[in-house]
Amino acid sequence: MAKVRPKKHPPTIDMTAMTDVAFLLLTFFIMTATFKSQEAAEIDTPSSISAIKVPDDNILMISIGNEGEVFFGVDAQPDRIRMLDNIAETKGLTFTDEQKKKFSNQASFGFPLAQLKGWLDLPAPEMGTVKQPGIPTDSTGVSELADWVYAARKANSQLRIAIKGDNSAKFPTFKNVLANLQSQNINKFNLITDAEEPPAGWRSDSE
Amino acid sequence: MAEIVESGGGKGKGDGKVRAKKLSTRVDMTPMVDLGFLLITFFMLATTLSKPTSMTLNVPDKQEDKEEQETEPLKASKVLTVFLGRNDDVYLLDGIASNDDKAPEELKKVRFGTELRDGIFKSQKRVNSQFEKDEEGNLPFVVVIKPTEVSTYKNVVDILDEMAITKTKRYAMVDFLSDSEKELLGDRIKPQPGDQ
Repeated sequence: MAKVRPKKHPPTIDMTAMTDVAFLLLTFFIMTATFKSQEAAEIDTPSSISAIKVPDDNILMISIGNEGEVFFGVDAQPDRIRMLDNIAETKGLTFTDEQKKKFSNQASFGFPLAQLKGWLDLPAPEMGTVKQPGIPTDSTGVSELADWVYAARKANSQLRIAIKGDNSAKFPTFKNVLANLQSQNINKFNLITDAEEPPAGWRSDSE
Repeated sequence: MAEIVESGGGKGKGDGKVRAKKLSTRVDMTPMVDLGFLLITFFMLATTLSKPTSMTLNVPDKQEDKEEQETEPLKASKVLTVFLGRNDDVYLLDGIASNDDKAPEELKKVRFGTELRDGIFKSQKRVNSQFEKDEEGNLPFVVVIKPTEVSTYKNVVDILDEMAITKTKRYAMVDFLSDSEKELLGDRIKPQPGDQ
C-alpha cells in the first residue's frame, strides 16, 4: 500500500509584485515629501475658498499665535544668516558662528532682540521647548518686527510676505503687523489659509 | 522576477557525471516588503499633503500723498457697512450712515454663514438695481468692513472670503471707528473681562 505522496512544499507566495507596489508608493512619497518643519507655535489657520497655492520659495512668513504673539521666519537658510547679520549690524550686536548656525536651523522664532542671544545659547533640543514671547510689534509701524522685515528684505529682495494667523488671534495684533509692513511700503500680502470648498454653484470669474 | 531559470545544459543526461544539486534561486521577498511598507508609513506620516492656500490682500498705500486722497465721499445709500464684533457676531448696516436716527433699529446682527451671505446679497441687489454703474463700469455696491478690537483674525479672513463668494469687487477694510459708530455699537465692541 505504498501511496504515492507528492513531495511537500511549504506554501510560498511570490512577494515580488508586492515589493514592486511598495517601492512604487515609497518613491512617490519620497518625491512629494515636504517635511513639516519645526514651528515656533501651533497655528490653526482659518479657511477660505481661495485656490491660490502658497509659493514654494522666497517666503517671509509672519505668524500670529493665538495669544497675539508674533513669529517671524524666512524659508531659506542662507537668507536667515544674512538676515541675522543685517540686524546685528544695524543694532550693533554680534553673534558667534555657533549662534548663527543655530539660528539658521530655526524655521521661525519669536523673541525680542534682547532675549534672542539667550535663546540661541540654549542647547538645541531645549530651544524647541521654551515658550516664545513673540516679537514686539507696535501700531506706529516702528518696532522690532519692522526691523526684522527690513533685514530680511535686505538679505533677499525677492521675498514675498505671507501672514499666517491663528483663528483666535485678535484683530489688533493683525492690525499692528499690517502697520509695520505698510510703514515700509509693503502693500501686498498673502494670507495663508486652509482650503475650503466654495459653496455649490459658485464659480470663479476667471474661469 | 527573482527566479532565474537555468537551462539544464541539454545533452549530458546519461553520462554519469556527478552534478552538484541545483539550489533554488528564489529569494524571499517578505522582509523587503516589510521594509518598504515601513518606509511608506514613515513618509506618509511625516509629509504634509494638503498644501495651504493663500489669499492675496492688497491694502492701499499709506504714504502721505495728499493729492490722490481727494476722492468723492461715498453715498451712504450705496454702502453696506459690516462691523465685526465679539464672538463671531457680525453687524450689518445697510444703506444708512451710522449717525442716522434710524441706525439703531436698522443695525442687524447676523452670524457668519448663510445669514451674512443673504444680507450681503440682499443689499447688493438693492444697490445695484437702484444705481447705475459708474463711468469705469464698476458696480455701485460698496462694502465697508470695520473690524473692531474684539474681532479675531478669523473673522477678517472670513469676511474677505465672503467678499470673494458674493463677488463684491469694491470693498474697503477700515479699522477706524467714528464716534457715532462707537456710540451705535456701544458695549458690543468693548472688550469684556471675560474675553481672553
